[in-house]
Amino acid sequence: MTLLRTKLLNDDFVITVEITPPKGPDVTSMLDRLEELKYLTDAVNFTDNPSARMRLCSMAACKLALEMDFEPVLQMTCRDRNRIAIQSDLLGAHALGIRNLLVMTGDHPMWGDHKESKPVYDIDSSIMIKLVKNLNEGKDLHGNSLLGKTDFFIGAVVNPNAEPILPQLKRFEQKLKLGADFFQTQMIFEIDNLKRFMDFANKFDRVKVIVGLIIIRTKKMLNYIAEKIPGVIVPRWLIDKVSRLNDDDIERFGIDFASEITMEIMENKLANGVHIMAISKVDEVKKFLNCIKIRV
Amino acid sequence: MIVSKKKKIEELSPYIDQYNSYFLIGCSECASLCGTGDEEAILELKEWLEKEGKNVTGWFIAKTGCQILGTKREMSKFKELIDKSDCILVLSCGAGTQTIMEFFEDKPIIPVNDTLFIGNMRRFKEFEERCRACGECFLAITGVCVVTLCPKNMLNGPCGGYKDGRCEVNLHKKCVWIIAFNILEKRGDIDRFYESLLGPKDWSKANSPRDYVAKEKIN
Repeated sequence: MTLLRTKLLNDDFVITVEITPPKGPDVTSMLDRLEELKYLTDAVNFTDNPSARMRLCSMAACKLALEMDFEPVLQMTCRDRNRIAIQSDLLGAHALGIRNLLVMTGDHPMWGDHKESKPVYDIDSSIMIKLVKNLNEGKDLHGNSLLGKTDFFIGAVVNPNAEPILPQLKRFEQKLKLGADFFQTQMIFEIDNLKRFMDFANKFDRVKVIVGLIIIRTKKMLNYIAEKIPGVIVPRWLIDKVSRLNDDDIERFGIDFASEITMEIMENKLANGVHIMAISKVDEVKKFLNCIKIRV
Repeated sequence: MIVSKKKKIEELSPYIDQYNSYFLIGCSECASLCGTGDEEAILELKEWLEKEGKNVTGWFIAKTGCQILGTKREMSKFKELIDKSDCILVLSCGAGTQTIMEFFEDKPIIPVNDTLFIGNMRRFKEFEERCRACGECFLAITGVCVVTLCPKNMLNGPCGGYKDGRCEVNLHKKCVWIIAFNILEKRGDIDRFYESLLGPKDWSKANSPRDYVAKEKIN
């Protein structure tokens, strides 16, 4: 059983971070960053060509992380692989020792650096959950028997910021019923959005939710997220507030802001953990952890 | 209808510059409605070619360019003029162009248009793609075609990328799943829809090339 699964099942608060594999074969800086992150987080997610920008694959990054005693979460999208490739890659990932998955539909190629590529989307993320569930039961998507069973811990995504919210909640419910073991949310800026979602999610038993957060570093970063990241709505008051701060104050504010949301989640037992997205320096993760006094 | 768009002159030129005499064929069906295969389109191209010092030997508009034998019959009347031409320029969709190609393997057959999609016409010469001929129609379930109108072919509801109900890929367009969801809601079908999983889709029905012999009867 993975540490992530154990902690979530025990209702321990989990901290995970997101690492984007490098654009190129040189993994030195990714490994350096991982070395610095050691013992700080419960798991590390490796993204699957985020924003449809071509990078080193998540599976290789997960394998390198395993060799350093990390617990990786393999992110897999439906954008670039048909059902044959998805299953084949997942069987390969399992053989390499990868157990935690986070499956999602994936940003469209129009956001990326290969805009002319053919989007695959053979299956959607709901069907992908069914697919992984089947692999765990020793059969492929179409019911053919497999030599052995996988033991994946299945993560799915949900966007509590979505407007209108009901179609998003129904998909969450569908993913849960199909067998998602835990959920990771899109990045949250307003706790009320999270509460609105959790009010719905708590109608179901044993729902495990890790809340996506970012540590705001610069005005540029916040504006980029507001404009370019699908499904993310940065509230106007936050943009205005950050725009009035100088650069040093923004860094401090970013850490305080992420910490305050995390503390509120922890104190009110709103969710089972937080996931820090789009990190740049490990130092900011350390400062954040120091603020919430989980680790030094 | 099949929506087609005139190639730009600079796109067409590399294919036709080396020839001196041309025979032009239009189509009275979809290409005429698109303004890419009607008399006006033919005469415009003829005028341009003649201004360039080229010779247009003749032209005609096929009744239905994708109807192979009918077009062959119509074309036979122009055999002499076609024989005298270096090449044939076809002002139709890709299907119509290939009808002509079937009869003249030794003569260059050049499409004047690019074929875009199956389109609905909202206003005159304004087309929207609604159906991508995927071979397995879900419209009875979703009301609008999510296979065509969702850039990610989502079958079970929206992705997480929409903002204020607008599509992540084109913010000027409403997310089709928000439209479909409203339809399901109005019909009281939301719970029924989510009782099961739609898909995985049988994409083998959309794999090209396809053919079909309409001899089956609906009982």
